[in-house]
Order: sequence, then structure tokens, then C-alpha cells
Amino acid sequence: MKVFLASALLLFSAWAWAQDDFGPQGPAVKMATAPVLTAVQGKPDTISLQFRVASGYHINSNQPKSEFLIPTVLKVEATTDIVIGKTTYPEGQDMSFAFAPDEKLNVYTGDFIIDVLVRPLHSVQPGKYVVRGTLKYQACDNAACYPPKQLPVSFDVKIAKAPPAPVQNPAQSPHAH
Amino acid sequence: MKRNPLILFFIAAVVAAMLFAGIRIARNNRANGSAKGQLIGNVAPNFVLQTLDGKNLKLSDLRGKAVLLNFWATYCGPCKIEMPWFVELQKEYGPQGFQIVGVANDDASAEDIAKFAKEMGINYPILIGKDSVSDRYNVSVLPTTFFLDRDGKLIAREFGLVSRSVFVDHIKKAMSQGQAVQAQK
Repeated sequence: MKVFLASALLLFSAWAWAQDDFGPQGPAVKMATAPVLTAVQGKPDTISLQFRVASGYHINSNQPKSEFLIPTVLKVEATTDIVIGKTTYPEGQDMSFAFAPDEKLNVYTGDFIIDVLVRPLHSVQPGKYVVRGTLKYQACDNAACYPPKQLPVSFDVKIAKAPPAPVQNPAQSPHAH
Repeated sequence: MKRNPLILFFIAAVVAAMLFAGIRIARNNRANGSAKGQLIGNVAPNFVLQTLDGKNLKLSDLRGKAVLLNFWATYCGPCKIEMPWFVELQKEYGPQGFQIVGVANDDASAEDIAKFAKEMGINYPILIGKDSVSDRYNVSVLPTTFFLDRDGKLIAREFGLVSRSVFVDHIKKAMSQGQAVQAQK
């Protein structure tokens, strides 16, 4: 029975592994599951979104060196009560590739993180919200390039109630005795 | 009859490996254009696309010439390596009835494509690509280059950057096959 179960597990693993399309046949970039951002009404906070470029591929950074190259850009859709602030991209690496050894391209490879400033309004109801967006990128390997793609991005924001404002004692009028 | 559990596990491992390899190979073939059999050896799908100076170019009008059909984009680094070779090859083999045609598979504006082509010193027509054309040629990576003989038949295809000598070999083969323009007129 144990051997049968082990064999079944092996077959399923092979099937599941073969389905993994990470690479330009599928997406060249994947997003790691984002942590839930717990933010307080009215207070800005930053979420770090982690992405991974498939091994053997590179994508242009947000600031590529040529006007003809397509930058990596994250677009996050604002919700009614949660404002999306500044998006901070990491610096790319200057790298040369076999197809152009004398030219340096500014690229992302492996893991990279994009920070997004999230500012819930004072009026937002406490609870869990899903924020969505897309990462536009264009990938190449050492010999070929792939058309630009848009990776769906999403993360959860848990809004907590702002602590009550401290109660101030009413100003006392001076008494003259 | 009692089965040896180790043999059973070994058989499962072999089947798992075959399953993994089979699925991956099938996916790669699909991504690389499994239509190789459908395209190569047949007459190239015809199209009409606009050149950078606004004229229409019909592929079938080039019958009688060997054609190198290169799908490229301004954002494609490897494509930039090939282009100076193509400029030289057009000069060298053009007088013998050879024509290079570039198809810009790009979201960039026609002005930007023209600027890029000028910077690269391109001496052959550049066409503004359409998805309908690249889909018919199963173009999923850039550069992708096709070679047509003088009868318009697709004789070879290359994905990604390959060496200059590979292009020369395909061009010579393409020029040696089919009816030349001179023979038709």
C-alpha cells in the first residue's frame, strides 16, 4: 500500500512539475505571495512586493538605458478609500550579454522588490481589501526577446481602526484670587 | 503472484520521468511553433504590409527572388546584432536576386521604428508588422527569421540570434531553388 501511495505521489509530482510554466513559454516573471499589509485608517504604510525573474532571463529595469527599451512598470489601481502613493523601484544591474558584449543594459534578474506606498483614508471602513494592478515587463534571454507581457498583481490590505484621539482637558481659565 | 514493491516503484519512477519529459517537450514544440511542418516546405503565407514610407509591399510580388523575412523589434537586443549583417548580405547578394524584408513586430510608433532603422543604416524595406501576420508565421520570439526560395516556398526558419554563417548557408540554398526572375521574363 505504501509503495502504491509513493508511486502515485511520484506520478502526480512529475505531472505538476511539468505544468510549471515559469519561463518565457509562460510568464518570465512571477510574483511571490505578498504579505498582508496591516494599516491604520489615515496612516500611510509601505508594502514590499517581491518578484522573481526566471533563471536565464532578464527584464529591463524601470530606468533602461535606451529609449527603445521597454521599462518594467508597476501600475496599481487605486480603490475608493485607499490611495496608492509612490512606487519605488530597485536600481537595476548594469550587465552585458552575449548578444552585445560591449553594451551594458540596466536589468533585473533573479529576485527584485518594488515598494508601494499605501495610504488609507480616515474614512475607510476597517476590514480587508484587495488591491490589484499589473506589472508590465519585457524579457529577453541570451539569444532572443519576448513580446511585452502584463503580470497580474494583487495584495491584501487589512485596515485597522485608528486609535481614539487622546482626550484633552479643557483649558482652564485663570482664577484671580 | 507477489509483486516486488521495489520493481513497482521503479516502474512508477520511469513512467513519471517519461510523463514529465513528454509534457515539457510537447509544450516546447507548441511554443516554438509546432507548425514547422505546416510552414516549412510550403509557400509562405502571403501578406500586404505598409513600408515605413507608406507604400504597400505584397510578399508574393517578390517571387523570383530569394527572400529573407526577418521579424524584429526595436526593444530586441539580439535583433540589433543581426541588422548590420543583413545590411552587408543585402549588398552582397542583392544583385543576384536576393531580398531582405524586415517586419517590425513592435508597439513603437512608425516614427520611432524609422528612427531606429536609420540609426542602424538599414538598406532593405522595413514593414510595420501586424499580429495577424506574425500569428500566421507563429512568431513568438524575436528575432525570428524565415528563408523563402525563388518560388516563395519556405525552406528554413531560425529562432533567436544565430551566427552569420547560418544566414549565409540558408541564403545560398534559397537562391539556388525555384525559378529566378530572369527565367520568368
